[in-house]
Amino acid sequence: MLPIARRRARARGLTGALLSAALAITAPGAVHAQGTLRLGMTAADIPVSFGQPDNGFEGFRYMGLMVYDALVNWDLTAVDRPSGLVPGLAESWAPNPDDATKWTFKLRQGVKFHDGSEFNADAVLFNFDKLFKQDAPQYSARQASLVNFRIPAVKSWRKVDDHTVEFTLHAADSFFPYQICYIVMASPAAWEQTGKDWNEFAKTPSGTGPWRLTKLVPRERAEFEPFKEHWDKTRVPKLDKVITFPIPDPNARTNALLSGQVDWIEAPAPDAIPRIKQQGFDIVSNQYPHVWPYHLSFIEGSIWNDERVRKAANLAIDRDGIVQLLGGYAVPAKGHVSPGDAWWGNPSFDIKYDPEAAKKLMAEAGYGPSKPAKTKILISASGSGQMLPLAMNEYIQQNLKEVGIEVEFEVMEWQSLLDRWRAGSKSPDSAGGHAINVSYTTQDPYSSFTRFLRSDLHAPNGVNWGYYSNPEMDEMLKNASLAKTDAERDEWLGKVHTKEVNEALFIWVVHDVAPRAMSKKVKGFAQARNWFQSLTPVYMEQ
Amino acid sequence: MTAYILRRLLYVLPIALGVTVLVFSLVHLAPGDPLNAVVAPDAPKEVVEQLKRDYGFDKPLPVQYFIWLGRTLTGDLGTSVATGRSVTEALRAAVPNTLVLAAGASLLGFTLGCLFGGIAGYYQGTWIDKLSTAIAITGVSIPHYWLGIVLVIVFAVELNTLPAMGMGPGGSSAWAWDIEHMKHLVLPVVTLSVIPMGIVTRTMRAAMAEILSQEFVQTLRAKGLRSYQVLAHVVKNAAPTVLAVLGLQLGYLMGGSILVETVFSWPGTGFLLNDAIFRRDIPLLQGTILVLAMFFVVLNLMVDILQSAIDPRMART
Amino acid sequence: MSQATETSAAMVDAAQVAAQSRGYWKTVWLRLRGDKVTIACFVVLALIVLSAVLADWLAPADPYKTSMLKRLKPIGTEGFPLGTDELGRDMLSRLLHGGRLSLFMGIVPVVYALVIGGALGLVAGFLGGRVNMLIMRTIDVLYAFPSVLLAVAISGSLGAGVTNAIVSLTVVFVPPIARVTESVTTQVRSLDFVDAARASGAGTFTIIRVHVLSNVLGPVFIYATSLISVSIILAAGLSFLGLGTEPPHPEWGLMLNTLRQSIYVSPWVAALPGVMIFFTSLSFNLMSDGLRSAMDVRL
Repeated sequence: MLPIARRRARARGLTGALLSAALAITAPGAVHAQGTLRLGMTAADIPVSFGQPDNGFEGFRYMGLMVYDALVNWDLTAVDRPSGLVPGLAESWAPNPDDATKWTFKLRQGVKFHDGSEFNADAVLFNFDKLFKQDAPQYSARQASLVNFRIPAVKSWRKVDDHTVEFTLHAADSFFPYQICYIVMASPAAWEQTGKDWNEFAKTPSGTGPWRLTKLVPRERAEFEPFKEHWDKTRVPKLDKVITFPIPDPNARTNALLSGQVDWIEAPAPDAIPRIKQQGFDIVSNQYPHVWPYHLSFIEGSIWNDERVRKAANLAIDRDGIVQLLGGYAVPAKGHVSPGDAWWGNPSFDIKYDPEAAKKLMAEAGYGPSKPAKTKILISASGSGQMLPLAMNEYIQQNLKEVGIEVEFEVMEWQSLLDRWRAGSKSPDSAGGHAINVSYTTQDPYSSFTRFLRSDLHAPNGVNWGYYSNPEMDEMLKNASLAKTDAERDEWLGKVHTKEVNEALFIWVVHDVAPRAMSKKVKGFAQARNWFQSLTPVYMEQ
Repeated sequence: MTAYILRRLLYVLPIALGVTVLVFSLVHLAPGDPLNAVVAPDAPKEVVEQLKRDYGFDKPLPVQYFIWLGRTLTGDLGTSVATGRSVTEALRAAVPNTLVLAAGASLLGFTLGCLFGGIAGYYQGTWIDKLSTAIAITGVSIPHYWLGIVLVIVFAVELNTLPAMGMGPGGSSAWAWDIEHMKHLVLPVVTLSVIPMGIVTRTMRAAMAEILSQEFVQTLRAKGLRSYQVLAHVVKNAAPTVLAVLGLQLGYLMGGSILVETVFSWPGTGFLLNDAIFRRDIPLLQGTILVLAMFFVVLNLMVDILQSAIDPRMART
Repeated sequence: MSQATETSAAMVDAAQVAAQSRGYWKTVWLRLRGDKVTIACFVVLALIVLSAVLADWLAPADPYKTSMLKRLKPIGTEGFPLGTDELGRDMLSRLLHGGRLSLFMGIVPVVYALVIGGALGLVAGFLGGRVNMLIMRTIDVLYAFPSVLLAVAISGSLGAGVTNAIVSLTVVFVPPIARVTESVTTQVRSLDFVDAARASGAGTFTIIRVHVLSNVLGPVFIYATSLISVSIILAAGLSFLGLGTEPPHPEWGLMLNTLRQSIYVSPWVAALPGVMIFFTSLSFNLMSDGLRSAMDVRL
């Protein structure tokens, strides 16, 4: 195990103990299971429950990581800094001292699945074969399609003993724990019992997570009850029951909350927030690893090849106006990540609203009021993490126009946008668009930096959509992934980010703060700076 | 009569087959990979290929069509690409909800339409007639999705008397005959009923006017029958036409409720269709369109047969 | 809406066929002039079309100009007589400009369908026999779909966009127009003067051009105008579902869709685009009715 992970684990155990002690004093009733939490999600359907969830990170949040655990879990107790990784079904992990391409994971002992069967090395092998071994009986192409792209480093795995598994990577990679944390462990025994059919398994899924799925009505509701035998006693749920409802329409979600049909909604519409507050509900929010940018193209003919234009665009955007548009629930972006984050570095280019400076830069680049820079941007009308894409884009279109950048939008459905994103900016499908508006997670280093910046990761190898290529950047990314310690890794990532901001490789706009609205009866929730959240400490005040 | 029914059935078969071909080819018109929507953004190529094989999208389209048709005939509409859940089951949950909505709207529209149309036809040329005609033309000219929004503004936003969205408490997706569900039904049904109301008013008015001008009515009157007795005769004669319109309207509303279901987040087939379109979930898209179209075809058939049963003259035409 | 496919058997009034003379048009004109409702509709439509065409000059503000400070102002705000939308854009200007796309998307499909469906119906009706069978049975398949379902299914499959919406609506309107044309043509074909023309040695093409076309065109045209109202509602409906126009272009259906999110903040502004759709569709409907009775066409 890397030193930091161990330190965090210890700290966490301590806070956990203190927290329960505090609860025992102030709220004697809270130790008993209490209440039913009804929660309105943004998904159009209940995320699939057979293991790897769909519906993106919301699927992980309200299905995947409730029913299942991964070998490495996120620490969802901290609210003041981005979440780190903590031991999950593995107690420790580390690359082998003599060969950094091999990682040994020591598994937790005595862990039981919901069906009572034991979690061990065979279960780990079973779940990895499910995703990668196409001739395995449990292979599920659907699940593979949902998650394999998140773990590109892994090559093979083998059982060392009942409680030890060794993974072999394609190359040494310090980011591996950030990848393996997406692979959840489903019960092999339960899969056997449900006729070796994942769709059947999905009806009564069995993982090791703190919640058991007890009822699933597609498109209507999923019900979860605590799994009292969970291996981590601090994560045994306090509630009697959680019911999740898919309510994709923001107005419908707000109505459901106000009329008392649910106690908690995800992502209330910004315009509805004042009304929700006025009616006595709480809005909970916290920054999380998310950025809403324009991903720029560096192919021939793109105006963004000129660093001055990129900087001008970054300075032209009135981010406070955008934040206002979002009802105050966003943070202006200063870069891909935020100052104070482990990967911030020390960039000198200060991203702020300065249209005069922007105009000057545009003039230097040879543009002016009579000769505006013209470009096309691909955007979507909706989509996960896109916030209010149309409103925001239209606002920014005005901002950019004022400094002499005339933007034309190619608006498409979210899925079509992702198709173009995969295809790369050179693809004819991109229809001459030289920027694409896809919001990104910055939860892990690969997703934050490598996949966009490494020169060999353009289509079809990856999503370096803009064909960015810079040997110096490649070198820094390589050093980061070869780092021996977390600190060394973070230092290199800081350098990557510094260069990224100083050269304005993206146009960064805002970070989301994931507002959630809930009844005042909902207690105990602390919103982690993460895409995922834990419902285990939540209880309902009677 | 039996011969007529058989002839109608024989006539419907090729149409039904044509509908399956159309539905199948329609969803394959779209550019792009049928799996793009469900495969995670940077999934590796080989996984996508494997998934294609799993779903049978690797075979030539005609082959896919016959496999699909064969399965469809056994009542299996496949599994949703997005969720892996059965399309048949999804439809089994959604169709009754839409049916409640469409039947309620047809019934309301039909009642009001008969009333307005009947009165208008009876008092032709008077101000009552003009008013009824105005209501009818408004009914067919109003964008009903907008009417739905206006009703929500009035009854949910301003007056706060009726729920704005959903079918029942707690995101209910199964219809129940209780007061809460009924409350949720009011606005969508009123919204959807303006179309049949307008059309039935028009039809009823014309039918009434025509029958009243016919000789037998004048004879009946001359014979000294009271006006309500005359009315009974008239209704009997107008029934086949109006019935046909009603039947067709139910079918139209089943297929056309997507806009109203979107406005009210009603968990019916329109909602399903909307979801399938935006997720590009081909099996779900095919299944939903097919079921709605078949519903319409069968309803048409039933109306024809029923009409000829009431009025055997129809069968000969 | 469903009246798109609601065709009763088309009939050409014998009187009309006989009266293809200057006297007939004079009668039509006289009848129209006396019909106040139809005249009023002409005026309203002319105003709507003009304001859409002249929107650049009439609109008080730039319909694309956003302002975060002036978001969702109510109707009657100073400087914004009809309020502002969710991005602070002037509603009046957007409604004026929005007419362009809404009218375009409503009228163009009917024109296309008139050409395609008219040609199909004419051929089927005039040639009869196998050709008629083939064309009309194919059309029957399209008839098996409720119009809204067909429009949504085609647009949904092709993807969002003005062109795709127009294609899908054209497909929706071809069958009813083809049916009406076929039935009118069949009746005209069997009339005496066509037989007479054939007996006097006129070629098929000449017969179609001179006799059939002139007698069929009127009723079919009237029928097509009655479809425009439906087409406008459907086109805006597709945009409302997110299958038609793409933002930021103003279009009534799309405006209705985006403003729906703000219904609790600014309810009545959210309803405005629908008023425009309603009045346009109503005017087309009434005008079509007026033309029909003036031209004495029974459909």
